[in-house]
Amino acid sequence: MSDFYLLWRNLFRRKLRTFLMMLAIFVAFVIYGVLGSIHYAFEHGVDSSADNRLVVVNKITFIQPLPYAYVGKIAAIKGVKNITFANWFGGYYQDARNQIGTFAVDPESYLRIYRDDLRIDPAARDAFIHDRTSMVVGEAIATKYGWKVGDRIPINSNIFTNKADGSHTWELTVAGIAYAAKESFNTSFIIFQYENFNESKTFGKDTVGWITLETDSAAVNDQVAATIDEMFANSTSETDTQSEKAFGKAFLAQLGNIALIITLVVGAAFATILMIVGNTMVMAVRERTKEIAVLKTLGFPSWRIWRQVLGESVLLSLLGGVPGLAVAGLLVMVLSKAASGAIPGLALTLPVAGLGVAFMLLLGVVTGFLPAWNALRLNIVTALGRL
Amino acid sequence: MTGQTLIHLQDVSKRFVKGKDTITIFDHLGLSIPAGDFVAVMGPSGSGKTTLLNLLGGIDQPTEGSITFDGGRVDTLTEGQLARWRAHNVGFIFQFYNLMPTLSAARNVELPLLLTSFGRAERRRRVEAALSLVGLAERANHYPREMSGGQQQRVAIARALISDPKLLLCDEPTGDLDRTTADEILAMLRLLNQEMGKTIVMVTHDPEAAKYARRTLHLDKGRFTERELVA
Amino acid sequence: MRVFNEIAVVTTICIKSIPQRFWASFSTVVAVGLVVTVLLAFLAMAAGFQQTLRGTGTKDMAILMRAGAQAELNSGVTRDQARLIEEAPGVMKDPDGKPLVSPELYVIVDGVKKTAVPADGNLKKAPRSNLTLRGLSQAGIAVRPGLKIVEGRPFKPGTNELLVGRALQKDFVGLNVGDTVKLGNSSWLVVGAFELGGSVFESELWADTPEVQDLFHRQNVFQSIRVRLTGPDALKALSDYATNDPQLKLDVTTEADYYAQQASRTSDLIQKLGWPLAIAMAFGALAGALNTMYSSVAARAQEIATLRCIGFSGTSSFIGTLLESLVLALVGGIVGTLVTWVLFDGLTGSTLSGASFSQIVFTFHLTPAVALQGLILALVVGLVGGVFPAWRAARIPIVEAYGTP
Repeated sequence: MSDFYLLWRNLFRRKLRTFLMMLAIFVAFVIYGVLGSIHYAFEHGVDSSADNRLVVVNKITFIQPLPYAYVGKIAAIKGVKNITFANWFGGYYQDARNQIGTFAVDPESYLRIYRDDLRIDPAARDAFIHDRTSMVVGEAIATKYGWKVGDRIPINSNIFTNKADGSHTWELTVAGIAYAAKESFNTSFIIFQYENFNESKTFGKDTVGWITLETDSAAVNDQVAATIDEMFANSTSETDTQSEKAFGKAFLAQLGNIALIITLVVGAAFATILMIVGNTMVMAVRERTKEIAVLKTLGFPSWRIWRQVLGESVLLSLLGGVPGLAVAGLLVMVLSKAASGAIPGLALTLPVAGLGVAFMLLLGVVTGFLPAWNALRLNIVTALGRL
Repeated sequence: MTGQTLIHLQDVSKRFVKGKDTITIFDHLGLSIPAGDFVAVMGPSGSGKTTLLNLLGGIDQPTEGSITFDGGRVDTLTEGQLARWRAHNVGFIFQFYNLMPTLSAARNVELPLLLTSFGRAERRRRVEAALSLVGLAERANHYPREMSGGQQQRVAIARALISDPKLLLCDEPTGDLDRTTADEILAMLRLLNQEMGKTIVMVTHDPEAAKYARRTLHLDKGRFTERELVA
Repeated sequence: MRVFNEIAVVTTICIKSIPQRFWASFSTVVAVGLVVTVLLAFLAMAAGFQQTLRGTGTKDMAILMRAGAQAELNSGVTRDQARLIEEAPGVMKDPDGKPLVSPELYVIVDGVKKTAVPADGNLKKAPRSNLTLRGLSQAGIAVRPGLKIVEGRPFKPGTNELLVGRALQKDFVGLNVGDTVKLGNSSWLVVGAFELGGSVFESELWADTPEVQDLFHRQNVFQSIRVRLTGPDALKALSDYATNDPQLKLDVTTEADYYAQQASRTSDLIQKLGWPLAIAMAFGALAGALNTMYSSVAARAQEIATLRCIGFSGTSSFIGTLLESLVLALVGGIVGTLVTWVLFDGLTGSTLSGASFSQIVFTFHLTPAVALQGLILALVVGLVGGVFPAWRAARIPIVEAYGTP
């Protein structure tokens, strides 16, 4: 027998009560695990983009295009190492609800900029560069629709009209499939040749949606950005240059304050269990006032009893919380599959799980503190009614 | 067979503050208990019996005066030191047994050994010996709620003996038991006194119980009214 | 009658004993309250969002866009097409005989939410949000009879002047009347603010068509055409006309349908987030309620047994205990509703609408229907949390009456 045995027996003295406590804690940590993972995936997905990558967009709004000529002008600026551009196509497959992030790009430069994020077979890369009507499909999309290399797929646009037949459809051949080289990279996309796009669309010729570039190092980012924006100041298309990270963050922020909503919900869940568990622990320890007094009489030092009560609440917290996190991990996995890559990197990560365990310990200490303190301060004479 | 003084109370006063009043339980009380003695303490409610037991057992401290145990001062010890002192020197037996309901008989008996450095095997040996001594070896795995009052009190006695203390303090040990069971328990206490040399102080209301002791002290309003010397 | 009297007595005992277990009861009330607050906050958000979008569309207004465009942002309509529509059947005419047709430009510009302003006040560093800039003419105002200029005046044709939606003005920086807004390299003056029945339009900036066309290099191109319909059959006539003419190839829907469809996606999503969260949390609160009620029954065991002893039925103990649980849960539900009402009702939020790709400002709205859902959830927690302890109470053996307290 050990102190742990005593603690364990006390914890399960009333099995139903303990089970209910564990259930409440379990639920709170499922909520924490799922929401925390989603939050982490959002934040981290943005944070993982390279430090020395800048995005140039039209100053009015990033939806407004820029002249194609800007690409060459910006490429010549000192400090710009690589440059590419992309166009939003408004693509969907078969049904307008099956929207796909489809971009018209310059194959070679695009794949060079994203060389660390995307993994693509060299043969597929060559095929994409040489076949004007080909496309590269991200893994998530290829899996979703079961497309294979060589398939000819009609991709529709909800914006552009194909000059060839007046339809909104472009037939494209799958040249290859791109895989994420980093877990946080979203592979639900299609890229196809800008040349093909530019020549077959009915309006907006020789414009690009945005320009992405790589600087020599993150240290020159600000300088390069300032040079670009000055270069086009007072022109008909002024530019706004910022880091890809800042751009991604601003876009996410548009959805609403996700971090705040998640914090509030998780906070409410934790406040609930704090009330329930804290109160029950006080009751549970009060119930055995006499037993604690007897232990003290037998010569158990106060700190040892204090440690036992605190250990009991921490153990309770862990017994409810750890399975909660585990189930959250499973749920997140299911969710990640269901979202088919729309939230890249969605998984119960170590930092989220680690913080969860820290919260469990904290919860255990907070809920156990008052009863443990009461036990520490307990006077044998009064507790045993020996006056 | 009594020997040197085990406990000595000198000029012990005990006062409680209750609201505006100060209640004096003892005023310059003196008492000497030799090692190997078996003392019954009798007296009406409020006479200070329980407080005396509290002071002897080191779960309460005197307001004034000194308490010496085996030549060492007890009244000057800190709370932590007192706890260690109790663990080594005193075994307690209560009227309502005060066993841990969540622990089996064997584990209840083993409880005080958590305060020692004995290994697992040694602990087990001692627990078995103590339970055999009180005649409950076959009940080792029973829980308190599965045992009669007398059996529970015997477990409590085994628990009190396990760390081999010199002093046993009993607070109405038979107050909740029928006559036959009470006699069994009292006989057991007498045996512990006679065969193992345990010094016992027993508070009781029951004159029959007091007969098992070597001597009886009568306490009234904080004073011993008569003193029976060693029988 | 006797049973009711018994129940009344037991219930009184139960409810009067609540203060004796103050903290246990309090924690149940707070737990249920928090669950209800979380649920209602989400539902009020969904309801508010839906109300804003639903409130936008009217059935007697048609919106025409390029076939397959689905949203104004993706659409493109030429001036020639707009002229053809003016001659279409089903189009209402004003007293002067002018058709009520408004070709409109729909573009996105950047703005800064008031909540996104950094601590140092430097707007250049603030994350920007997409705002709708609608280019329209006098006809645009004529087709929207509910329009109210609540401050300043409408924009003058041929000037860089902006009319700002009331909701947008409250939520975004620098849109007060008299403020100058820089769009691209030109400056625009805010000259007025409007209300339009709490609709999505109140989240928009309005300006004169040619000026917006200039800014965005989109001469002679519009995104949509708004048409005031003559009656219920007009949509069909207009639709046939617009689909059959090879020059037109436009999709025709009522504005009501267009916005309802946009609303359903986002508000469904919000509800789909809110309910599972609330249900999960309800399980936590249920655990608390069960605990409290079991300890309540244990504390009153002797009282209940004594009543049984003098002839009360087990049913009355059952119902009394159940009612205690329901009362606690109901109090929690009411507290949660009040908290939601105080904290969230009337709060404005804004989000990027998937379809319009721009910010829609909406108001959290705690409707009675929403509040009712919260109270029902609370009562379900109270019912389940009470029924098992009540069962135990009903089965307390009568001999407990003789036990020691």
